[in-house]
Amino acid sequence: MRGLVRETANWRSLRWRIALLVAVSCCAIALTVGLLVHRSTYERSMNDGAARAYSALEGALDSGDEDGVLAYGAGEMPPELARRLRSADEAHLYDESRAYRPRMWAGRRLDGGRLVAIPVDMVPDQLSRRALDRHMVKYSLLALAVIVPLAALAAELPNRRLRRVARTAGRITAGDLGARTGAGGRAGDEITDIAATVDSMADSLQGRLVSEQRFTADVAHELRTPLMGLVTSAGLLPEGEATDLVRDRVGVLRGLVEDLLEVSRLDADAERADLRRVPLGEVVADAVARLGFPVELTVEGAPLVETDPRRLDRIVVNLVTNAHRHGAVPDGTRAGEAPRVSVAVRDGVVSVRDRGPGFPAVLLAEGPQRFRTGAAERGRGHGLGLTIATGQARVIGAELTLANAPEGGAVATLRLPGGGPGAPADRG
Amino acid sequence: MPVSVLLVEDDKVIRRSVALALERYGYGVTTAEDGLTGLELFREGRYDLLLLDVMLPGLDGIGLCRRIRETSTDPVLMMSARGDALDVVSGLEAGADDYVVKPVDTSVLVARIRSLLRRTTFRPDPAPDPPPDTAPDGPAPLVFGDLSIDTGGLEVFRAGRPVALAPTELRLLLEFAAHPGIVLERQTLLRNVWDYGWDGDSRVVDLCVQRLRKKIGAERIETVRGFGYKLRR
Repeated sequence: MRGLVRETANWRSLRWRIALLVAVSCCAIALTVGLLVHRSTYERSMNDGAARAYSALEGALDSGDEDGVLAYGAGEMPPELARRLRSADEAHLYDESRAYRPRMWAGRRLDGGRLVAIPVDMVPDQLSRRALDRHMVKYSLLALAVIVPLAALAAELPNRRLRRVARTAGRITAGDLGARTGAGGRAGDEITDIAATVDSMADSLQGRLVSEQRFTADVAHELRTPLMGLVTSAGLLPEGEATDLVRDRVGVLRGLVEDLLEVSRLDADAERADLRRVPLGEVVADAVARLGFPVELTVEGAPLVETDPRRLDRIVVNLVTNAHRHGAVPDGTRAGEAPRVSVAVRDGVVSVRDRGPGFPAVLLAEGPQRFRTGAAERGRGHGLGLTIATGQARVIGAELTLANAPEGGAVATLRLPGGGPGAPADRG
Repeated sequence: MPVSVLLVEDDKVIRRSVALALERYGYGVTTAEDGLTGLELFREGRYDLLLLDVMLPGLDGIGLCRRIRETSTDPVLMMSARGDALDVVSGLEAGADDYVVKPVDTSVLVARIRSLLRRTTFRPDPAPDPPPDTAPDGPAPLVFGDLSIDTGGLEVFRAGRPVALAPTELRLLLEFAAHPGIVLERQTLLRNVWDYGWDGDSRVVDLCVQRLRKKIGAERIETVRGFGYKLRR
């Protein structure tokens, strides 16, 4: 409802432009027709008046001016009429010198050179002409009052179709590639054209996305099948140092392939969260327990969140692994003894903190970029972990912020939606 | 007599290595390299579990699973190299009990197989609050509308006619029957029926519920939007 009001009040809308155009053209037509009618009525009235004046003059001269209506000599008639009678035998003049009493004069130069003239009252003519003008103005305004709203209403129909095209384009932009205007079948005007173009654009975008997804799926199949053979075969090898080397590399290869496939799925925006109500502390505890290195975990309260636990697990594992890789061992302890990473869970917020050199400036400025580890001292790792964490956080509607603590070390804070009041991000 | 597994997989290395790995865990493994051979082997022999790849030459894993389900309720585990919606959903719709995505660690595969086999040999605990008129020779069948569940003999009847349920479907129905009228969250069902932790895929639950509804009547299991499912008394 408010949208409708705003739309109606928008004076730059096409609807009002069309209405204005219609109003201007109607006024122009009314003005032209009015002027023509006004002029022709005036001329006819002048001709009629002159004819009446001449016949009155004739009558008065015939009767010897028994009513005494004739004017004799230049002094009794308008000077202009006298001037005309000097060059012609007969002349007439419309005299408006007396306000509200216009008269038509007809005059003749008699044989002796004497001028004679007679005025005829033109008041009824003038009144009827004025009435005609008033009528024309009145009915023109009346017609405008009807036509302009009609034009605005008529403009509403194409307007509505245009708005639908705009809405559809907006939905496509927002990621709903299945949205179509569905305005193809109507009359072949420009709006149908643009609607059809928007539809075909969406078709081609969707087609490209589908083929991209198919490519990812094919790559997944082609890579995972030999990888599975490798993983299972490596598992069959007799224990030994060489076997450990092979298994380690197979594990790395497998992680890389899975990460790449995950990144490309996230890029394709085809991921949908599988939301469940889960105890946040337990999911995080399970995730860090599987990592194989010590992590200091503190959980305050028992926050329940509605999220996709598998994606949450991926985010936590990636953040903690990343922090472990770059984090330094706390002072006074030896490597492998004390946890390098501390994870805190409070309300709907998970913060992962290390004591390393912190995130590089370029990462904080531009966000995680795949295969960019940012600095030489962060050379290990392929830079996909944080990209995946960011992408997965987007899928579950969580906010992931990366920052450096003032007293040193990197802090990654994940705020889950609907997780209660947010806790301060960079607690010690 | 070891547990027998029929493995249908076209990739030679996977077929051999998975067979060897499972044999180390004490399973008897028969292998087939395409869907039609798999179907033939399935019809000739008896297997405790079927492990099917999705992409197979000839008859694919989904088609094979559907053919197997026409006559049998044996547990079926699908292996997909794609893990995308299409593969997983079609496999589960065709009647698979669970799926794994390649590459899968032998330990994970064995855990899935064990969980699935536990469902086949599952015996529910004695009913939590047995009706007072329980006959001494066994629990009385649980009755929900036209549905009757014999928890002793593990048989299900709808309007007096027996319903053939795959082990996971039966296990799911018993889980519902143990909590009639109570909403069970997907997470709970994943944990209790499939033995998943937080890593379970709730589509497994949704599609198994769908299959169960087709067999016992759609109105029996109610969807509680945003929470889970409940069995109507």
